[in-house]
Amino acid sequence: MIARPSPLPPCRALWVLFLAFALLPGLAVAQGFELLKPSGAGPLPPDEAFQVSTEWQDDGTLAVSIAIAKGYYLYRDHLTVSTDSGTEPQIETEPGETKDDPNFGTVEVWHSHTQATVSKITGPFTLHWQGCEEKGLCYPPQSREIKPPAQLATAGSALGKTSQAFETPDYATTNKVAATALTKTASSADTPLRIFSGNGLVAGIAAQGGWLLVVASFFGFGLLLAFTPCVLPMVPIVAGMLGAQGKGLTPLRGLALTGTYVLAMALAFGLLGVVAAWSGQNLQFVMQAPATVIALAVLFGLLALSSFGLFALHLPQGLTTRISALKGSSGSLVGAALLGFTSTLIVGPCVTAPLAGAFLYIAQTGDTGLGAAALFALGLGQGVPLLGVGVFGAAILPRMGVWMTGINRAFGFIFLGVAVWLLDRVISGPAVLALWALLLIGLGVWLGGRDRFDAQTSALRRFGGALGVAALLTGAIEAIGAASGATDPLRPLGRLATGSARDTQTGNLTEADFLHVETPEDLKSALASAQGKPVLLNVTAKWCTECATIAREVIPDPQVQAALRQVTRIAVDVTKTGAPQQALLKSLGVIGPPTLIFLTPEHREAQGTRLIGDVTAPALTASLKEIAQ
Amino acid sequence: MIDRRTFLALTGTALILPRASLAADITPEAVFNDPDAPAMGNPKGDVTLVEFFDYQCPYCKSNHPVIEQVMKEDGNLRVVMKDWPIFGAPSVYASQLVLGAQSMGKYQTALEALMATKGKLSNAQIDSVLSAVGVDPKQAEAGYKANRKQIDALLIRNDAQAVAIGLRGTPAYIIGRDVYPGAVDAATLRDAIKTARAA
Repeated sequence: MIARPSPLPPCRALWVLFLAFALLPGLAVAQGFELLKPSGAGPLPPDEAFQVSTEWQDDGTLAVSIAIAKGYYLYRDHLTVSTDSGTEPQIETEPGETKDDPNFGTVEVWHSHTQATVSKITGPFTLHWQGCEEKGLCYPPQSREIKPPAQLATAGSALGKTSQAFETPDYATTNKVAATALTKTASSADTPLRIFSGNGLVAGIAAQGGWLLVVASFFGFGLLLAFTPCVLPMVPIVAGMLGAQGKGLTPLRGLALTGTYVLAMALAFGLLGVVAAWSGQNLQFVMQAPATVIALAVLFGLLALSSFGLFALHLPQGLTTRISALKGSSGSLVGAALLGFTSTLIVGPCVTAPLAGAFLYIAQTGDTGLGAAALFALGLGQGVPLLGVGVFGAAILPRMGVWMTGINRAFGFIFLGVAVWLLDRVISGPAVLALWALLLIGLGVWLGGRDRFDAQTSALRRFGGALGVAALLTGAIEAIGAASGATDPLRPLGRLATGSARDTQTGNLTEADFLHVETPEDLKSALASAQGKPVLLNVTAKWCTECATIAREVIPDPQVQAALRQVTRIAVDVTKTGAPQQALLKSLGVIGPPTLIFLTPEHREAQGTRLIGDVTAPALTASLKEIAQ
Repeated sequence: MIDRRTFLALTGTALILPRASLAADITPEAVFNDPDAPAMGNPKGDVTLVEFFDYQCPYCKSNHPVIEQVMKEDGNLRVVMKDWPIFGAPSVYASQLVLGAQSMGKYQTALEALMATKGKLSNAQIDSVLSAVGVDPKQAEAGYKANRKQIDALLIRNDAQAVAIGLRGTPAYIIGRDVYPGAVDAATLRDAIKTARAA
């Protein structure tokens, strides 16, 4: 009779759901929603009623100790362990009191405190427990995933005892428990039926309308995502691809090319699902390896050079023909497919909520077919607006005379821009700014920013000249930024301005005020120093465009700022894609950046607060408030 | 024309979907009038009581006579028992058989029989309890299998609703806009019904 049942955060989520579904025919959400209000005082949250702590022993066993709040009890036969792989560990529990009264039948329960020992541990396993409040309420089963410490330390150093504070997947799992959903039933009456936890996006939609609705919904999500920074970089690529077509470009041809591009993109998404099922990895994440990114940047660089018409002079014949094949009419469909495929894996690797949902579904059910189909539909949806670029772009782009060379050159600059943008992921910020400066200055000169005009100069050339001067100026500013050590091309003078701005008026928290961690060990010590405080974990990476948008547009929001001050801020940087980063992601149950995780002062993830993908200021504020209380 | 900000807002919405999918559909309509959830009491009653319960949850069962009593004396109360099997496999099995017994017209008989048991159950115990009141478990199971899609979806929906409403466990009673976690006495129920009726 102490804490009120938490009055869930659904109001916001629901109107939002309504908006999202308004675009998806067939998923009409009933209107007239009213929040069902909890009345009176309620039972304790399950993690307060039963406080489970674990400690590794020197002999490799795990000591489990559970403090049971007054007026609550735990069932002996519900304190169990299970594992998905390998041999099941053994749990030894102490005898309980036998409750043998008219209400209960005969069961063994514990009051106030109990302990147990888990032995024969060969790998990660899950500890389950379940209990009730004496006054008349039984909790759903609770669980926690436990990993032997040796597997946590990627460096291989023996950690010995691990303190409870970093029982890694703790945040990721305990709170999902309430979401137990029945997903599978057995055929025979005697076979025990299993209950799986985590009723995700896919399973939820499938339950409402079968696989067709899942596919349709993901197509809809794709459409919604098409205009996020995640997908926008693909527009210049598609435009450049079309521009390189030259004279042969008709709307039909444009449609065929973009269609191929989009199809390949969707196929790559489907493949992501298959690979996820097979390896448990997000291929997009793996593909961010510096070598891959550099290779692609080089490819775009070559495409640019080819657009500038430099091949005959500088490159060996074989390579020239191959690159040209990407733009020539015969090989262009293949080229489009290649571009589409790589775009998904490397250019637009943000993790979005539908993507994470589909991954989760595949991981939980092993149903690769539906998961991959959903991802394929997601890719198609994301590509539909690009088809528009294909058809209308082809209609608008001029196809005659000198113009053609001009257009081709223009796309050369666009390709170079894409290359620099890609390089931003692997080389240091100031160097990227310097590259932008070079590119802009080159563009400015090409546009005629340095040309001399006389009385006969046409208006159009004067206009080009004006743009050229603007590009030159911007390039100069980027160059100054590079020299001053700035890293954000959109705020090249940020470093020169911050000194006064931060101290005097705004005092805003920025990404720089986040504690930076890159390895599980870093995270562990960061969490240890934040003991007893609510924590925001911001999983981010340099190559994640969506993350940059969050830093630039969401973090500075005044309400977010106020809420951020109440919590310890940790940036989990997965820009590098090595083993420690993958271990980090796995331990947090994260598919990839951007993902925001909110931990209560006890360092448990607060239920239903996790934010994935494009984050809005109100959503972030709401989640922050939930942990700060 | 939709500008970028609106679009971002829209996408933002799509991105909170995992949360929203948990929040599920908890409109009063969905909670009180789920077409697949069988109702007891007065089907045309002006007030609906929804109970989230489990066939192995001791308090759900010990408190069940109170619900029956209030339902009978009120006469105008509709009762929807929502299965939320949280006690593992036997609970799921029990829910499936009882919901499957609808096809035999014996839903309430089966439910009452299992609610009259104590504490823990095994599949075998469930079978014998049902047989004893004339509900053939094999036939009930066939009923479940024939309507499996619908019944599984209902159980998933119940779970999603329970989580979205923020229920801590079983039993939980919902009347009007009020949620009562844990066992309640008859007087509290009567008051709640009165309040809901007045609203």
